Amino acid sequence: MLEAAIEGLQSILTPHSLAMMSLGVFIGSLVGFLPGIGGPTTLAIMLPFVMVMKDPVTVIALLVGIDAVGNTASAFPSILISVPGGAGSQATILDGYPMAKRGEAARALSASFMASLVGGIVGPLILLASLPILRPLVLAFGSPEFFVLTLWGLAMVGVLSGNAPVKGLIAGILGVFIATVGLDMKSGIERFAFGEPYLWEGISLILVALGIFGVPECIDLASRKSSIAERHELGSGFKQGILDVFRNLWLTVRSSAIGIWVGFLPGLGSSVADWFAYAHTIQTEKNTENFGKGDVRGVIAPEASNNAKEAGSYIPTLAFGIPGGTSTALILVAFTAVGINPGPEMLTTQLNFTFAIIWTLAIANIIAVAFCMAFVKPIARCCFLPFYTIVPLILVFVFIGAFAANFNYYDLLLLMVFSALGFIMRRHGWPRAPLLLGVVLGTKMELYLWLSYTRYGLEWLLRPGVVILFILLLASVLYPVWQGRRGGVSRVAEAV
Amino acid sequence: MVLAGAIQISLEWPVRASIIILVLGAIGLALLIVQLISDTRNAASGKSSEALTMEAPAVKTDSRWGNLEIWSWIAAFFAAIHLVGFLVAAPLFVFSYTKTYGGGWLLSAALGATAGGFVYSLFNVLLHVPWPKPLIVLLIS
Repeated sequence: MLEAAIEGLQSILTPHSLAMMSLGVFIGSLVGFLPGIGGPTTLAIMLPFVMVMKDPVTVIALLVGIDAVGNTASAFPSILISVPGGAGSQATILDGYPMAKRGEAARALSASFMASLVGGIVGPLILLASLPILRPLVLAFGSPEFFVLTLWGLAMVGVLSGNAPVKGLIAGILGVFIATVGLDMKSGIERFAFGEPYLWEGISLILVALGIFGVPECIDLASRKSSIAERHELGSGFKQGILDVFRNLWLTVRSSAIGIWVGFLPGLGSSVADWFAYAHTIQTEKNTENFGKGDVRGVIAPEASNNAKEAGSYIPTLAFGIPGGTSTALILVAFTAVGINPGPEMLTTQLNFTFAIIWTLAIANIIAVAFCMAFVKPIARCCFLPFYTIVPLILVFVFIGAFAANFNYYDLLLLMVFSALGFIMRRHGWPRAPLLLGVVLGTKMELYLWLSYTRYGLEWLLRPGVVILFILLLASVLYPVWQGRRGGVSRVAEAV
Repeated sequence: MVLAGAIQISLEWPVRASIIILVLGAIGLALLIVQLISDTRNAASGKSSEALTMEAPAVKTDSRWGNLEIWSWIAAFFAAIHLVGFLVAAPLFVFSYTKTYGGGWLLSAALGATAGGFVYSLFNVLLHVPWPKPLIVLLIS
């Protein structure tokens, strides 16, 4: 394992990999501090370009670099203009913005960067520590267990990622159906292609991702149109913010642990990691009367957790091939395209890639924090860019990304179809992440199900591992539904 | 309807091609019935089925035309790509959009040029993409 760790580090520390990682950090940070454009949209735009790259380490450096740091820079708009830069920085507003109004924006920003750094380092460390535990577990699994695991991942995302569990599950199933479109190579049957040769090769995941995430986000951004009402100067206290994190180091580590746990569970994403950490802080800290009015601990906790969450979401992605969230689902697609096979191989023959990912997560966070601290003033100004400078450029990138999928005008037509679908889903409260995950996992699920059926008939349903996983699946689907009916966990955000 | 239609179509296929659709489709149909019952009961009791969402809600626009405005821009961009090709449509779209919503001439032109430059350098210089002929060229020729 040590050899793989060293090999992974060496591959990441080459000038080319470092340059790609820095590019990834720059893009991830840019997306973070421009409110309205989320990490999944950026990754979806990047997919067609990275999938033609030959070197897996380059893809790791670029995509993991983007993914690792989006939450660091998203603190800028949350603190300065009370608009979340990303889903993981919503709770930061509660105390970050009042601090900015009080003239302590610099203190809030430096505290958030330092907390992000701690979270970004603790996360990969725990991912590293989990490898020896995961290895024997993953190697003991066969196709029936993997089928139930993929089903579990899909069900978890469906149940937890939206406001209506049943809608989420149906969206996930629809995603699997989309993945079946095209010619079935084994039977030669044309599935849902309606005699159209363009569809024989299936629907590109890039088009689905860009359509259901990219365009609806642009529509939201264009519809918002609002100008920023209040603008706050950075003020002083930059050094004090850094010291605040060390004064509250135990809180920072605890919040990071919460982030990792949230990331590990497929379906719970950044959007809840920060709220869970914030709620935990209020419940466990003393002198809580200033929370919501500009307490620096209310900035530290969410920022540490949303960065640590990214490392947590790589645990199921790498070990089982089940993405922890939308971003890791997209990264999984890129990995597969360049020869990285998430699943048992990541813990055996491709362990060096796993370590390259762990190192990238840690190093990218250090680069991102250094970048944000060094360019705090110009970045702060970017938060005030008007929508009309961002929307058309993003739309052009989305259309270019879609066209690059197959260099066919039908790609653009499908993009429009999925954009309409994504828009309707967003409008009517249907979660979009399960649909994307269904498309990502569909082919694998079908393969595992078919292998299980041909090898074991229906007896695979009685394998002890399958029975245990089915019980866990049912429990994790029914428990949130039951809790939701009691107005439980999903109301954490409202409670705080 | 989509699920039921998919199951109906897949019934004619061999098991290898239809197994996943039949298994998940059946689960999906059962879930749909649950959702329909839940929606009907909520509608009857006047309750909202919406709990707290973990995804930011869609923005409700104050604009007179609602989201139709931005959708029109997207549709126009889509049509322009077919009509005049990517190389012309991209800078034209960026310039027009920026200028319409308050950007100055210089800013709009700079952003349009950036978009055009990016498309040209990526597709023509880097990837050597054989562009399909735009509609306008076909019409003229």
